[in-house]
Amino acid sequence: MSAGITTIAGHDLPIDSGSYAKAILNILGDFSEEKIRLRNTQKAIQNILEDAETEKFRLKATQKALLNIMEDSAVEKARLESMQKATFNILDDLKTEKNNAERTNHELVREIAERKRMEEALEAANKELEVFSYSVSHDLRAPLRAIDGFSQALIEDYPDRLDEQGRYYLERVRAGTQRMAELIDDILQLSRLTRTEMRFETVDISMLAESAIADLRRAEPLRQVEVSIQPDLMAEGDHNLLRIALVNLLANAWKFTGRQPEARIELGAMCDGDVRVFFVRDNGVGFDMTYVNKLFGAFQRLHTTSEFPGTGIGLATVQRIIRRHGGRVWAEGAVNQGATFYFALPSNQNA
Amino acid sequence: MELKTILLVEDNPDDEALTLRALKKNNIANEVTVARDGQEALDYFFGTNAAMNLTPAVVLLDLKLPKVSGLDVLQRLRGDERTRTQPVVILTSSKEEQDIVNGYRLGANSYIRKPVNFDQFLEAVRQLGLYWLVLNEMPGQGGRP
Repeated sequence: MSAGITTIAGHDLPIDSGSYAKAILNILGDFSEEKIRLRNTQKAIQNILEDAETEKFRLKATQKALLNIMEDSAVEKARLESMQKATFNILDDLKTEKNNAERTNHELVREIAERKRMEEALEAANKELEVFSYSVSHDLRAPLRAIDGFSQALIEDYPDRLDEQGRYYLERVRAGTQRMAELIDDILQLSRLTRTEMRFETVDISMLAESAIADLRRAEPLRQVEVSIQPDLMAEGDHNLLRIALVNLLANAWKFTGRQPEARIELGAMCDGDVRVFFVRDNGVGFDMTYVNKLFGAFQRLHTTSEFPGTGIGLATVQRIIRRHGGRVWAEGAVNQGATFYFALPSNQNA
Repeated sequence: MELKTILLVEDNPDDEALTLRALKKNNIANEVTVARDGQEALDYFFGTNAAMNLTPAVVLLDLKLPKVSGLDVLQRLRGDERTRTQPVVILTSSKEEQDIVNGYRLGANSYIRKPVNFDQFLEAVRQLGLYWLVLNEMPGQGGRP
């Protein structure tokens, strides 16, 4: 190959020597440029390395700072976590509390509903009782009037056809109707006692008693009864109801001392702790303590009507009235040795 | 002098008979017209056959009556110019407070509870007759509108 070509370092070199040297020089020239370029590059790299070192420092410091921060945040995190836990606990508690409250609320609502239902039932029962007693007071008496009136008509219109026995029987019929009429009136009065609304005020018990005794004296002016009433006895209660209770107690004492030649009736009071205890004492026929529990039952009597008249409603009335005041009533006595009736009233009804 | 009528408003035949007997026993000779329920009582005054010149000396009014109650009758009588001054005595079985209060509130002239005991009833009717048929003075016929 005369014009052979070899390739060295990217240069196509002719094989002949003249052009070969020229080519070498060219190559060397190229190298020199390359060297400068390399040096520049090296310098640039060096600069870069230097910069990198500074950067490395900065990075390290940053890293350190980051680590510190991370350490701090770990502590913070722990704190936050415990706080979060506490918050959760509180929330849990609140939830339980809320549930409890809801349950209580629920129970309260139910209780209120229940109470309302009971009140309505009570009101309905009261209303029914009112209708009932209204009907009793109107309708039960009418047939009695017929029995009594026509018995009387028989006695008057057929005197020649009725012998003494016949007239006597008709009188018995009439007495029966009379008694039944009294019983009806007493039942009505008793049922009215529990229905009337109470109005609390300060009541002068002594004055009520004085006026009740005055009424009894007017009704039986011939009776000699020594009455002693402790003055200025006061009580908190419904004036009208307490008056009825006292009238009943004193009328009882009056009635059951009827055979006592030196009849004595006493009204007084004593204190039993917070409770004011009033008493009505008499020296009448008294009663056997065996039957003390029967005394206050409605229509219960310890005497026959021929011994002492009455329907057996008086003490039941007294008991009902005292109980409506939140008080208590009881009795002591012995046969032919008089009786004492006590009633206790809470001293501060309004407070 | 012509005796004025008594209007007895009473649904119970026993009470009617006993009231008539009590009037007779007391020598009260006035004519008695009986209305056996509240509507009959109202018809007596306001019905198509009502003779409005009839002014009973007194109306004896029971409260518990079929159809129209005694208190409703009273209310109608007091609400009408022609019967506003008509004497009305409530004569009934009960002395329930509400009846007495309502009776007077509606303008009853009197309220009497029929006693069970016939002797007492007789006495009540005697006094009633004496008061309303003899003692009491009413505006004359000409004074009525």
